[in-house]
Amino acid sequence: MIFSSCPHEKEVAELLVRGHWEHACSPELRNHVSACRACNDLVLVSTAFQSARADAAGAASIGSPGPLWWRAQLRRRNEALMRVRKPLLGAQIFALAVNLLLAGGFLAFLAKDGVQWLSWLEQIRQTQGSFFGSLWPSTLFSSGWNLMVMIPVLATLAMLSGVVVYLASERQ
Amino acid sequence: MPWETILPNAIAGDAPRVVDLPMDSDAFAGFYERSARSLWAYLARVSGDPALADDLMQESYMRYLCASRPAPSLAEGEVAARRYLFRIATNLLRDYWRRPRAASIEEIPEQFFAASASAAQADSKAALGPALALMRPRDRQLLWLAHAEGYSHREIAEVTGLASASIRLLLFRARRKIARLLREQSDPSLNHRREP
Repeated sequence: MIFSSCPHEKEVAELLVRGHWEHACSPELRNHVSACRACNDLVLVSTAFQSARADAAGAASIGSPGPLWWRAQLRRRNEALMRVRKPLLGAQIFALAVNLLLAGGFLAFLAKDGVQWLSWLEQIRQTQGSFFGSLWPSTLFSSGWNLMVMIPVLATLAMLSGVVVYLASERQ
Repeated sequence: MPWETILPNAIAGDAPRVVDLPMDSDAFAGFYERSARSLWAYLARVSGDPALADDLMQESYMRYLCASRPAPSLAEGEVAARRYLFRIATNLLRDYWRRPRAASIEEIPEQFFAASASAAQADSKAALGPALALMRPRDRQLLWLAHAEGYSHREIAEVTGLASASIRLLLFRARRKIARLLREQSDPSLNHRREP
């Protein structure tokens, strides 16, 4: 396709934009438009589009701007909340990761020492006595430092559970 | 530093109090009244789907108000604000066309394209809908912005994101094509003559 521009095109376009076409233009220009392909296309297309615009704008059923305004406010507020929650979520994930790492390290440490830390349970089984007797402090403390290890384990588990519950509630 | 100063008021559960929108409620109402019809016409005619135009128009205004980058306010001129709005709408249309189509042009109600105009332009107006449907989406946008909205090449480049230098050629080709289609629609004998 050859790109050929007409020197009168700009003048015709201005007349069309102002709404002066075709009655407020010179007969010479009108004759030129009827003979010039580029100008003829311009007039045909511009008049069709301007009429279509007027029709479509008249047919438009635009709603009230009020709800749009409030929805925009709400969206901005939600975006602000999301921005705040992002670092919080990051901190939660970091805490969870640290806890898991500690728990993993602890389990590895215990595995290295064997299952000696369960010796107090073995003692309970061996006594075969009353259940309350097995809970006697002397029985428990006789297992050495194992009880001192169990408490942090239980604390870690409790903390992990708390984190999991918190994350789950945050998702909801 | 207390945490209340770090976290915005929104987290404290206050009423919505977002004041950094580009214009206040009254100014927006005025801007909406002046620009909504032409924006809807653009979206409806270029997409060929009035229902889609409703949705995209609302989304355009929402994005205009919620723009993370400061949108041109009325203080900077309504022309700039309108242009920015059309740019958002153009991007939304582009996103829509990139998605898989849910509806075809055949599903558009026939009366949408029907003309109720003066006899002088009735032919070209009635033919514009089908002729637009045969054009590429980008050409529809360019033609509407140039001939319905009266935007200059520079403004069209700003709205569409295309290079300013290429607008002239693209528009020339699109105009020539739709002019031919309009003539064929209004005078089918032209079409028959081309067929062999």
